Amino acid sequence: MLVQALQALATGLLTGSVYALLGAGFSLIWGVAHVINIAHPALAVGAAYAVYALATRGVDPLASLATVVPLFFLLGVGFHEGVIRPAARRAGDLVLVSMVLTFGLAAALENALAAIWGPGPRVVNVAYTGQAIRLGVLALPVPHVAGAGLAAVTITALYLFLHRTFPGKAVRAVWQNRDGAALCAINLRQVTSLTYGLAVASAGVAGVALALIYSFSPATHLTWLVFVFLVVIVGGVGSLVGAVVAGMVVGAVTNLATLVIPFAWAPFLLFASLGILLLWRPTGLFRR
Amino acid sequence: MRLSRRQFLKTAALGAGALVVPQLLHRGAWAQARPVRLGGTLPLTGPFADTGVWVERGYRYWAERTNQQGGLLGRPVEVTILDDASSADRAVSLLERLITVDRVDLILGGYPGTAAAAQMALAERYRKVYISMGGHMASFRRGFKYSFGGPPLMGQWWYEGAWRWLANIPRGQRPTRAAAITVNNPVGMSVRESMLDGLKRLEIPLVMDELYDLPLASAEPLVSRARALGADMFLANGFFPDGVLTIRAMKALDYNPKVILQGVGSLIPEWVTQLGPDGDYVVSGTAIHHKLPFPGIAELNKAARERWNLKWAPQYFLFGYAWAQLLQQAVEGAKSLSHAVLVRYMRETTFKTIAGELRFDEKGLPAPYEYTTQVINGEVELIWPPGRRSAQPVYPKPPWRR
Amino acid sequence: MSRAAAAGLVAVLVVLPWAGAGEYPLALLYSTFMYATLAVAWNIIGGFAGYLSFGHAAFFGLGGYATGFLLVHAGLSPFLTAPVGGVVAAVFAALAGYPCLRLRGPYFAVVTMILGLAVRAVVLNLPWAGAAEGLWMTLPPWEPLAARRAFYYAMLGIALVTALAGRAVRLGKMGVGLEAIREDEDAAQSIGVPAVRLKMSALILSAGLTGLAGGIYAYDRSYIHPDFMFDLHLSVLAVLMALLGGRQSWAGPILGAVVVRLVDELLTVRVGTEAARIIFGLGLALVIVLLPDGLLPHLMRLRRRAPRPPAAVPAAVVRP
Repeated sequence: MLVQALQALATGLLTGSVYALLGAGFSLIWGVAHVINIAHPALAVGAAYAVYALATRGVDPLASLATVVPLFFLLGVGFHEGVIRPAARRAGDLVLVSMVLTFGLAAALENALAAIWGPGPRVVNVAYTGQAIRLGVLALPVPHVAGAGLAAVTITALYLFLHRTFPGKAVRAVWQNRDGAALCAINLRQVTSLTYGLAVASAGVAGVALALIYSFSPATHLTWLVFVFLVVIVGGVGSLVGAVVAGMVVGAVTNLATLVIPFAWAPFLLFASLGILLLWRPTGLFRR
Repeated sequence: MRLSRRQFLKTAALGAGALVVPQLLHRGAWAQARPVRLGGTLPLTGPFADTGVWVERGYRYWAERTNQQGGLLGRPVEVTILDDASSADRAVSLLERLITVDRVDLILGGYPGTAAAAQMALAERYRKVYISMGGHMASFRRGFKYSFGGPPLMGQWWYEGAWRWLANIPRGQRPTRAAAITVNNPVGMSVRESMLDGLKRLEIPLVMDELYDLPLASAEPLVSRARALGADMFLANGFFPDGVLTIRAMKALDYNPKVILQGVGSLIPEWVTQLGPDGDYVVSGTAIHHKLPFPGIAELNKAARERWNLKWAPQYFLFGYAWAQLLQQAVEGAKSLSHAVLVRYMRETTFKTIAGELRFDEKGLPAPYEYTTQVINGEVELIWPPGRRSAQPVYPKPPWRR
Repeated sequence: MSRAAAAGLVAVLVVLPWAGAGEYPLALLYSTFMYATLAVAWNIIGGFAGYLSFGHAAFFGLGGYATGFLLVHAGLSPFLTAPVGGVVAAVFAALAGYPCLRLRGPYFAVVTMILGLAVRAVVLNLPWAGAAEGLWMTLPPWEPLAARRAFYYAMLGIALVTALAGRAVRLGKMGVGLEAIREDEDAAQSIGVPAVRLKMSALILSAGLTGLAGGIYAYDRSYIHPDFMFDLHLSVLAVLMALLGGRQSWAGPILGAVVVRLVDELLTVRVGTEAARIIFGLGLALVIVLLPDGLLPHLMRLRRRAPRPPAAVPAAVVRP
């Protein structure tokens, strides 16, 4: 029983770190630009397909990062400049408008992916799929470890960027106080574009990680959206540390819960815990 | 220019005549060429589209062949398939439109079970024959007169053949403990019924019986529990994505039961093309198969090869064709497009289709099928009944290939 | 639209089934009435109060399951028990809504989205509600055309009740209070607006009306399943319709619902579902960007040929 619990916990933490990565980018855009980017997971799915396309040509998913990261960064910047700025200029309620717009974008992306690859599920097979690292009684699947490793590296990089570099600090400044930052001669437009680029690039990395672990189809983004929301709500918008902790918690809870209650009730438990948490701390575990 | 009353009346009469007379003249030739219109909805986009597009191809291929062979009752057939975007709600409203506005002569069944079930209710209200996969057993217990599963996708029958095959294995070599995970939706639940029944008959204790919702986040906890409980038989009563996770988890945790039963995941082409050798030796059921010796199957396999570069006709391509073929046989046998006549005829006749012989009871169901499949070397083979075997079953499951 | 014109329109709608309309036009109008109900009801909490709910399908589905359950286990016709469906949804809104309403802005939106998904997950596991197999009900006893007429009238009635409720809220004291909450909740509270009570009332009313519609819808389908009774797309659609039509007025969402339903119908039939979705999405994006207040205020401005008000002034001041 204990072994199972440890196994469940271990796998949960690994997959949870990937949720954390996905949630981190989403949280970044929300915090800095006040935009709820419903299309965030859909972008990750897009990255997963890119990985698939390259994998069928013999490129290892980790190597495909070299293409995915810069491409998605540019995509993020383009998204901000081309879609969000025009909308923000004219919209009264940016939250609502951005949710609706990005929902439409996600749907469009889903349709585009279905048009190119068909609606069927895809699976990425690499040399280490199905292998596991043995840690005593535990077996850690190698793709999970790889995904978690990617998440860890990316989140650390993001953290260091935000706290150790000048542009990163500018991002945090805008996050904390938009007008104040502008008064300090920080170029809001550039900073916001940069944030978008980073967030979407992180979505790309998350897509690579997810492609290693799960099968996916164009419609998968909606299921990943739930995890993103959970992570951000529990961890608090704008907190990277919060996203990490929340991701781990969500991953661990979903896996551990199955030992105690029937598996089918796990989502309900998750939502109920979320409800209780919100009653206690409405802004999430880590206030921003 | 002002027309006198006479002139006006003359012109009007001429105009009206110009419109009507050609219709009258052509009525003879026109009526002969009037097509038989079949309509239905399928999920051509959305989560169920990967199956929906194959059912559509089955319908359309049937229409093409039928027209090449002289049509239905001497008239060409015309197929209209609307995209319900994987929404059961839309499936019903679109079907209502096809019935009341487009006035189609015959209905083609929808997919998946939830859409088919909802459409069954509508077809019953409008008194139209509805042939489809059905919406699991409950949908056939409603006392509907107009619905037929031809053949149905009946989870309750899914493992029937597998149990008979296992019963043939000497008692000492059979599995001793079973662990099961079931997806919490109509398909999974009905397959689970089949499982419970069979395990009881074979006297194999069920040590783990878990339900899960889609999407399955990770299969490791479930698999590790099955392993810890010493289960040497594993039943994954689910779909493709969860099946993939489950197989990979089993390999990663080095859990190798004697036999793995899979719900519906192993039937779609992707199981073999995407999962590779890891997907081998998984056992499942089916209602129709490309290696069955029934007339028509060889031709469908050929079409799959020529048009889509596939080795065999995919499952749902066969299903689509089968449902349309059944409708065709009913119409041609009864020599009528009247649904009341068709219903009576369908309950009195034994049909010979690509799915074998079908004889419907008062619920609209044929006799339970007992085909069992196993993926062997990347091919979905038939391993039961013995008379229809296309390969020898592999038991117990060999160790994972590394 | 003047009162006379509105009355005239309603009169036409009442007479229509007896003027020879076939099953499908009646079905189309029936679903338009339903969408209008959902949009107006949503707007009471989403538009007037500014609390964007992305989980309204939960209330819709609960109403449907309530009437379905009563039909299966007590043999009562949903035409009688639809109000019970509304009450069930309202009670749920009171219980679950209280913690949710403590959140604001995007948090509320996200939490209600999760709420919608949670309700689906729970019902999917309830054996006495059919669980994953869905709930089968007896078919309505009438011939298709007569049935269509019955459902048409039921949904027309519900839509009228909802419209009147929305209007009463908007033009009454509650509407003023909700508007104050939308503009600046803290300031409103500081001048004595009972924010919690008003928000809860708005949510409960909104949920109840939505559940009412769900209760009738279930009977028409005869077979209900959590996947389409608690569908996220339905929740988002309610938001979209209100957004499109104009959230500041009680009638704007009606216009939004009519446009959405008719455009969807035209596009699906003429162009195909996939293209329809793309066109619809683009059209919606255009409207959002070009007409942020929605269609109705824009149309009314055109009618009065008034200069466009500056963006800072809420269009709520204009009476619909």
